[in-house]
Amino acid sequence: MQTRRDFVVQTAGALSVMALMPQFLPIAHASAEPLGVALIGAGRQGRAILGELQKMESVKILGICDSEESRMTSGVRRVHGAEGFTDHKAMLEKLSGLKAVIIATPTHLHRQIVVDCLAAGKHVYLEMPMAHTVEDCRAIAEAAAKSSALVFHSGLEGRSNPIYKLARTFFRSDAVRDVVAVEAQHYQKTSWKFPASDPAREKAVNWRLDPEVSLGLAGEMGVHQFDVAFWYLDRLPTAVSGGGAIRLHNDGRTMADTIHCGLRFENGVHMNYAASLANSFEGRHETLRGSNAAIKLAWSAGWMFKEADAPTQGWEVYANKQVFHNEDGITLIADATKLASQGKLKEGVGLPHPSLYYALGDFVASVSDGKPSVCDAAAGARASIVAILAAQAVVKDAEVKIDPELLKV
Amino acid sequence: MVERLATSAMGTRFEFVLSGEPRGSLRSVGEMAIEEVVLWHQRLSAFASDSLVSHINRTAGDEPVRVDADVWELFVLCDEVWRASDGAFDATIGGAMQGAGFHPGDGAPSRGWGDCVALNAEVRSVRFTHQGVRLDFGAVAKGFALERAAAILREHGVRSALLHGGTSSVVAIGAPPSEDGWRVAVRSDAEPRMVTLRDRAMSVSAPRGRRNSDGHGHILDPRTGASAGNADTAAVLCARADLADAWSTALVVLGKRPAGMPGDAESLIHTGRCWEEMTSAESPDDFREVA
Repeated sequence: MQTRRDFVVQTAGALSVMALMPQFLPIAHASAEPLGVALIGAGRQGRAILGELQKMESVKILGICDSEESRMTSGVRRVHGAEGFTDHKAMLEKLSGLKAVIIATPTHLHRQIVVDCLAAGKHVYLEMPMAHTVEDCRAIAEAAAKSSALVFHSGLEGRSNPIYKLARTFFRSDAVRDVVAVEAQHYQKTSWKFPASDPAREKAVNWRLDPEVSLGLAGEMGVHQFDVAFWYLDRLPTAVSGGGAIRLHNDGRTMADTIHCGLRFENGVHMNYAASLANSFEGRHETLRGSNAAIKLAWSAGWMFKEADAPTQGWEVYANKQVFHNEDGITLIADATKLASQGKLKEGVGLPHPSLYYALGDFVASVSDGKPSVCDAAAGARASIVAILAAQAVVKDAEVKIDPELLKV
Repeated sequence: MVERLATSAMGTRFEFVLSGEPRGSLRSVGEMAIEEVVLWHQRLSAFASDSLVSHINRTAGDEPVRVDADVWELFVLCDEVWRASDGAFDATIGGAMQGAGFHPGDGAPSRGWGDCVALNAEVRSVRFTHQGVRLDFGAVAKGFALERAAAILREHGVRSALLHGGTSSVVAIGAPPSEDGWRVAVRSDAEPRMVTLRDRAMSVSAPRGRRNSDGHGHILDPRTGASAGNADTAAVLCARADLADAWSTALVVLGKRPAGMPGDAESLIHTGRCWEEMTSAESPDDFREVA
């Protein structure tokens, strides 16, 4: 039985927790003819892309391209009616009805493929980071700008994630108030190493461990999480520091398996970033702290932790209690009154699809409806350039100043 | 050289032991296989709102849902075992699991797979014949994931490995060095039985273990929605872990081997105080006792 003292202690000590739930609008498009798309790069991410595209009635997957035949064949086997190619130029020439491509090749191969696809008049969805060099990022952004009739979508998934979009409206309101600091992490336990039978194949499949072409954890993982901060804060950093080490995978690699970065913004806000391939505790999330509340975003869910002295918001009346770690909190679900009246309040918890689905859906909607991309080439280039500089800071174990001119894309 | 890898998935622990020197490093091949298990956990979870199964459960009552070749194979397998087991294995059991309090939700037993699920092989799509159908692949998902993981290991030259999911589904690739197979104990209320596995899969089901608030075991008879208890333990050995997984559940429900069970699948059923061993004529030694 709870005593009054317990109640007072818990109430004073506990931060309120609210799960933020967006309204889920189905991705549906008016055009009768499905959009003909092709995938370039049928590795792990490519497989996930195919899985999400196949949920969309408004899309028809016409082609799958991968320079490695076995990956291409696996992709074609999975998708009913798709044609396989090992050369993207041959695919662009041959596939009739192809309107859009999704590019998920290794980062350092993006530039030429993007240029070829835009030149062939195809709309482009490009996985991030955009490229492994500032020069390539700028070249891709320029190519996209010259093809203004075509949609170019940078695959920064946070900008399409319904929970992230909803949380951003809270973040920019009195609910969170003055920004204090930002933290983010990406932790998983894996070597990032694929089996390879010879040195040539080793270089091809283990490109993420090759310092000549890979941005490592700061680039491949950090870019998506850095961008959440840029998008929420509506500003870019002026400096980035970093460092790293090999803490577990001492297998001859030189790429750090554990890193940390610090991003400084001119208003005094600082973002701490940590990533590792040696430990998986608490995975991947971002926390944005304000003077009234903190928002924690974990891709398929988001929560707000209120300060005890923060004013009560009107929407809190819809909240119900939830235990989160050791704290009593309240869950907030958008559209809560409607769901509650239907007895479906609990069904509103959790996104119906992975973030990738919403990013691809935004791209398809832009192409089908002729609307601008929610994450254009300039946004992708800026986030990627910061990620490139962060990767340099990790290698140098130093701070790198960010020239604002560099980010004018 | 021996590598051990593990991951948490499908509410349990998957563990792989790999032996030998395949192309590339043993660990990186093992990680690919582990990632395959995690991928199928994400796709087949009935609990995660963003899983493929949740998407199908939400959508297939309104319109056909296209699935990829891998998921299609799972549906075909479920269809085959449902038919051959006279409905004792049924992946539309999600509603009954909710009704019995094992899963959150207010579902009820389904009308049966055959009356609920329409498969279109031409376009590889799935449609429910009515609203409210709840797929739950819990009785086959571990075996399905292990089968996919084992295929990756074999493809990359692994010749000796033991993979298990929650110690109830096992795949043996080859044998440990200097051994004729991987020795695995099948536990029951009676004394354990030892089996030796070589290039073979095995799955064990038992109604004991997880129980609901009424004390009923977690394996339900899909045809009635009641707890199944015609066998204390059922083990199935066959070439594929997904088939073994689905059939071991069906045998706990049935309590005996049905005529429609594939001839190359061997069964071991414990009822009351004795083991009933039913094997195909080809390899009775697979149940060789070593203890």
